[in-house]
Amino acid sequence: MTLPRLRVPPNYAGAACATLGVLLLTLPGLVWAAIGLELVALAFWLWARSLPDRGEQLARWGWLRRPPMALWLAAALFLALPELKLVFAPVASGPAGGPITPPAFMPAPLPVTRDPMLLLRTLASLAVLWAGLELMAALPLSRPFPDLSGPARPVGPWLTAILPVTGFLVLWRQAPVWTAAPLVKEIATLALMFAVVLAALRAFSRRSLTATLRWLVVYDSAMASLLVARDVVHGEVAALLWLGAAGGRLIALAAELRGQAVRRGARLTRFWRFAGWLAGASLAWPLLADAGFSGHQFHPVEYFVLAAPVLLASTLWLNRVVEAPERRAMARREDRAPRVSRLGGAATLLAGPAALVWAWRQGFHVSPVAGAAALLPMLLAGWPLRRLIPEPDASGVLRESAAAGPRDFALSTFRAVTVVERQLAAAIASVARALGAPARDLHSGDAQEYLLFLVGVAVLALLLPLLR
Amino acid sequence: MITWLALPAWVTGSAMFLAPLAALGAATLVRRAQARSRDTQPWLEAAVAGLTLVPLAVVVAWPAVLLPARAALVAGLSVALLAHDPRDLPQTEVALKIMWVLTAAFALSWAGDALLAMASGSARAREQWPALALALDPYALWSAALSLSLIAGLVLLGGAPFHFWPGDLFHGARAHVAPFVAATLQLAGAAWLLRHLDGIAAFNDAAMLVRSLLTLASAAALAGGAATLGYQTRPERRVGALVSLQGGLVLASLAAAPQREPFADHGGLALWAGHMLLAATGATLLSRFLPATAGPDERASVLFRRHPWSGVAGGYGLLSLAGAPGTPGMYLWLDVAREQPVHRRPGLLFGVMLAWLAAFAVAALEIRRAFGAPDGSPPPGQAVPRSLRTAMWLSSGSLLVLLWVWQSHRGG
Repeated sequence: MTLPRLRVPPNYAGAACATLGVLLLTLPGLVWAAIGLELVALAFWLWARSLPDRGEQLARWGWLRRPPMALWLAAALFLALPELKLVFAPVASGPAGGPITPPAFMPAPLPVTRDPMLLLRTLASLAVLWAGLELMAALPLSRPFPDLSGPARPVGPWLTAILPVTGFLVLWRQAPVWTAAPLVKEIATLALMFAVVLAALRAFSRRSLTATLRWLVVYDSAMASLLVARDVVHGEVAALLWLGAAGGRLIALAAELRGQAVRRGARLTRFWRFAGWLAGASLAWPLLADAGFSGHQFHPVEYFVLAAPVLLASTLWLNRVVEAPERRAMARREDRAPRVSRLGGAATLLAGPAALVWAWRQGFHVSPVAGAAALLPMLLAGWPLRRLIPEPDASGVLRESAAAGPRDFALSTFRAVTVVERQLAAAIASVARALGAPARDLHSGDAQEYLLFLVGVAVLALLLPLLR
Repeated sequence: MITWLALPAWVTGSAMFLAPLAALGAATLVRRAQARSRDTQPWLEAAVAGLTLVPLAVVVAWPAVLLPARAALVAGLSVALLAHDPRDLPQTEVALKIMWVLTAAFALSWAGDALLAMASGSARAREQWPALALALDPYALWSAALSLSLIAGLVLLGGAPFHFWPGDLFHGARAHVAPFVAATLQLAGAAWLLRHLDGIAAFNDAAMLVRSLLTLASAAALAGGAATLGYQTRPERRVGALVSLQGGLVLASLAAAPQREPFADHGGLALWAGHMLLAATGATLLSRFLPATAGPDERASVLFRRHPWSGVAGGYGLLSLAGAPGTPGMYLWLDVAREQPVHRRPGLLFGVMLAWLAAFAVAALEIRRAFGAPDGSPPPGQAVPRSLRTAMWLSSGSLLVLLWVWQSHRGG
């Protein structure tokens, strides 16, 4: 049977798959999310196999099938055992105290008890969390991917930045699945805080603006996921805050690849600098206020661990977005102030404050002290810290000799962490291989050996009941 | 969950005949494509194969006929089918290996049966357990006899550590023979175990012992199968490893509920074997076109360059064998997974999950490798025989009907 050949260029096929995949990720069901991630992985595979260095590219992006597999596992668990959905559902411990007072709810049981349903439900939550974290470079196995360019040549540097986007979409839309399980939220918080710190350090240590922007998208996605994990604001508000911050960086990254469109002209550059700073500040502010001052107490560790990357990321944005040089003798009017860039800037500017207003209308409350303290890192980023970090040249690239000390520190810290993580993962993999090696050598293929093996199992079958 | 169109009752009722009929059709097409010009008596060869395949297809459609003695007979018939052409050395070697192991396994099991009959005074399983429950015989005697009597079933199911024969079978036997032999041997294994455990609830100690043994066997089959799946070097052997995992699924189902027919919610053993027949047919045909050593960055095989949609049809069978989402095989894996916590075997559920993840990942990787990477070279001039491609379409189409039937059953 010969069907008519469809000759769709891989770039278009990949783009269609990736777009559809991201759209499916915005739906609430786990199966849709798994299909969405499969499509994103398929897009990267289609792009990678069409390149001249396909061997390297296919190996580089092969890990993208792990996150959908994790989601499939979670979806399969819920399909096989629908009662798992009720495991961590809140159960009223008594009648309501009146028409206004709601009933008290029993605390969720810990998964360390012997009930297998708790373990299975926790496993499903961990699988969803794994998928989200791995796509956000928050797990050791995929940590360095934002350093790499994507597998489609013209838009490659931008493509990598959609992976943290998918990671956040998974964690946001599937939040009811993974945030309900005890311990999973704590694990997520730890992993995400670590990812925030590393992403900010790596963004600082990269000299090119495109690489820095990719890491800032990772940083924004991890920050927004922290909002979801800690339930600081409603999921929709967190998504809007994330959209303002990460969306702004994505637009800036895309514009950087198309004639540096957000840095054309002094006014537009200043506008973008402020818009991006405000969006980032809006995202970080509720999180810092909640982490540092929850329960009317000051939590210095949480506050400073988060405040440091917030300060660094804000400083980086203000410092690196500089006006691009005009090399043409006569620039077109549209190039001097691109309309799309202005629209993007306006959306970035408005999204953060609008989300905060929405959160406030939904009952989000911050004490004045917490609010002021949470604002401090962002204000410090504007001045004076911004002056301490050298500015890049007009092309957006940091000079080789600029600020070698702090950059070297950030670089070596990031590299040390990734090397340790990689060695740890390699050690675990080698132990697993060593344990699995006998399975490979289980049979040599000789018929005599099969018979000996059968006799061995028969003897075991005779002995096992006696040993029982 | 999408609720599909409800199917008429006769469609769901006749689904168990669909798979063997479609598989017979596919086998005929494959046989036609593989007919060799130097065959002196092609009609005789075809008649022998046909006369053997038809009874095997009947057994798949109607597994209730498989009493232990008939299970041995069916196994013998399968070995005879494999050995019928002495010029086909790889297939004959497979026949010898399987016969070698099955003879010993049946001998051990019949020894166990004889011991049980001596201990209980009856050769019927249903009468043995109440007699043994009187505790007139020593534990060591009946427990050893019971363990031995199950050996043939474990070997026939082909779960690890007996996963050598499905690998050898799909590697060495012809594409139209291997799925039938695998399905009937595994079906015979399942029937052997079910018949031997008939009425075992009457003797609680024996039921507990059997559950422990089957739990151990299924854990070994699932974990061992998952571990070896990644080490298989040839695509045909990967199909064999996936088939061996199906045996592990039956064991897990029996470990959860020893007296309940596995996959009872999805048509029982008949539809399970029918599904495996179809999926293995598609998968083994596909595997013959896949390169053994090519990396993912090398160009696609002939089938995928000339007829990519036919390759997709074959890939559907492979995915269904692995239980990938959107395939009928998924329902079988979900069925077994659902049974484990219900019957207090949650530990085995982890084994099922591990095996499913390994199977799905390997199948997806295999399909990616099959598509390879385009290198700009023109498609090969010689086409893949039409009958082979039709066989792949037939198996995948039948699998889709099976999916429809099960989806409709679930929705209803």
